[in-house]
Amino acid sequence: MSEFDVIVVGAGPAGASAAIKLASAKANVLLVDRADPPGSKNVSGGVLWGDSLSQVAPDWEKGPVERYVEAKGVSFLTKDSRISIDFRSKKFGEYKSGYTVLRTKFDAWLAKKAKDSGAMVVSGVTIDKLSMKDGKAIGVEQAGETITADAVIIAEGANSRVAINSGIKKKPSDRHIALGIKEIIKLPEKTITERFGLSSAKMGFASEYVLGFLDGGVKAGGFLYTNKESVSIGAVISMGDLRNNNQTYSFNIIEQFKEHPFIAPLLEGGRVEEYSAHLVPEGGLAVNSIHGNGYMIAGDAAGFTFSNGLVLQGMNYAIVSGIVAADSFLQKKEKGIGAGANFSNYTDNLSKTFVLKDMKNFRGVDAVTWSNSIHQTIPAIAEEAMLNMFSESGEPKEHLAKILFKSLKERKESKKDLAMDLYRMMRRM
Amino acid sequence: MTLEIVVMIKQVPDSQEVVIDPVTFTLNRSAARNVINPADENAIEAALRIKDREKDVHITVITMGPPFAESALLDAMARGVDDAILVSDRAFAGADTYPTGLTLAATITKMGKFDIIFAGEESTDSSTGHVGPGVAEFLGIEQASYTSNTWIEDGFVYAERELEDGIETVRMKPPCLITVLTNSNIPRNPTLRMKIDSFRKGIKTWSLADIELKPEWVGLKGSPTVVKSMRTINEKKREGKKFKAGEMDKFVEELVSKGILKL
Repeated sequence: MSEFDVIVVGAGPAGASAAIKLASAKANVLLVDRADPPGSKNVSGGVLWGDSLSQVAPDWEKGPVERYVEAKGVSFLTKDSRISIDFRSKKFGEYKSGYTVLRTKFDAWLAKKAKDSGAMVVSGVTIDKLSMKDGKAIGVEQAGETITADAVIIAEGANSRVAINSGIKKKPSDRHIALGIKEIIKLPEKTITERFGLSSAKMGFASEYVLGFLDGGVKAGGFLYTNKESVSIGAVISMGDLRNNNQTYSFNIIEQFKEHPFIAPLLEGGRVEEYSAHLVPEGGLAVNSIHGNGYMIAGDAAGFTFSNGLVLQGMNYAIVSGIVAADSFLQKKEKGIGAGANFSNYTDNLSKTFVLKDMKNFRGVDAVTWSNSIHQTIPAIAEEAMLNMFSESGEPKEHLAKILFKSLKERKESKKDLAMDLYRMMRRM
Repeated sequence: MTLEIVVMIKQVPDSQEVVIDPVTFTLNRSAARNVINPADENAIEAALRIKDREKDVHITVITMGPPFAESALLDAMARGVDDAILVSDRAFAGADTYPTGLTLAATITKMGKFDIIFAGEESTDSSTGHVGPGVAEFLGIEQASYTSNTWIEDGFVYAERELEDGIETVRMKPPCLITVLTNSNIPRNPTLRMKIDSFRKGIKTWSLADIELKPEWVGLKGSPTVVKSMRTINEKKREGKKFKAGEMDKFVEELVSKGILKL
């Protein structure tokens, strides 16, 4: 007989949600995190979209959340310009957007919830790998000792030591990983509300940026989210670009972003309170199979993140996959076949949710989001078109289509590549 | 016969995470996580090393503190300590080092037989170094402070004391008390197995009634120290001048002109 029903590796949104769900169903759960306090090494941009968490924590909106996103932006930044969509809607009351969160607070709150639900929460220990016997996971190994469990839920995040050491995940290539860098900049609550034009101190702004102006042409996406008394700002940088470009350092990129003429005023007077960096999964599913004999993989470890350039999501996918993994174990347990079961029901159950549907429907979207067209050509053409349209030169005005066509003609990039990227954009975004 | 070791520890805010409020100049501990006082980690390790070498050793870790100090005790147990007692009571609040020593001495007395008591040299959050020696005085036993190494030979406890002019080796007959220097050893990491076991075993909690002291002897009432005032010292501003490589002559000239360096 196993020591635990389930061992959950990693106390992020996926792992903690799974542990809460399992412990609430009276399963004997161990939740282990390498950080102490649990989750303190976790990083994310910081918007939790949707309401998935209410399934395991109905009171979460009264918990460790910062501001409700009432304003959502998407911008292209060139060296001198900003081309933006700044969407604000009173309808965000009925259409669920998301809350900005600070992960150190948020994850600690979730881990406590797991503990209060009856899970054993152990922090400050790094699991080495799955313990396998006859092709089945029978628990986990740490410091040469095996702790047994009927099932293991691997929710260890993008840096998947356990999955890689257990031979169920390949070391990620540059295409499957990006580098996320983030700073939390302290500003007074009132300043944030005023500066971002928010309707109250409870309301927030979240925006994604295409950083098309970086030294050496390095491709990166930026984000800026407002918390109660701070702003989270960061960049997600292409690992391949960083590796190929010896002149640009990752820490320079966030500085260039912060110093941009239309970003700097937003941060003025702020003090950097926290600096962090983390791997970000890219390019969809990170494993061949998200289940096996005696184990399931959830959250970032499985590659469950979504980015189409307009919005970055991950925590909601993590939460749903964690809950579904927990449910799938309980399903098997009910039939008396929990121990070492082949959890194919996890894949089946998750296929019915947006998690695997989005993974399937948006496969290959990274080829668009990291394309030259998105990062350079389109911003440049748009900038020129806007300058022509919104200025008065004393010359007769031209039609928009003509302006666009003219500036496109002057660009030296391949028209064929742009056409391909535009086609992909229509299909995949 | 079992060798009974007691380790006295304190939970402190992680000094790297404590920030000074720029307005009030007081320490803001709320942002910092709570950890075992660093020197106490070395004290635990010193005790565990005796347990590694000797047969039939039983270690109990004790602390006086609020209920959340439980995590420090569990951490100690996960490293290999056998039992843990949290002495916790509202009556202990506001204690200076005198009633703290008295409270811990009363706890150890109540526990029964003891052979060696270990404590960290001092805590990072108050740095008095009073409590360990105080407990030895209350119990009327021998003590060795500033130690970096301890061992047992022929029924005696040996300890190396790191003093300004050298290392002094002392020999004591148990029961005795030893305070351990910060960084004098490398504390072991708890394993998952041991963490799980310590969670399952749990800690004991004692209150004022359990150690049979009068309320007026402990906490703020039992504290002779009165803080008259507190002030902060303004840091001298650095000039922040920079010299490039190859400007050594200029650098030396500057130092000489300021009287920092004499040629």
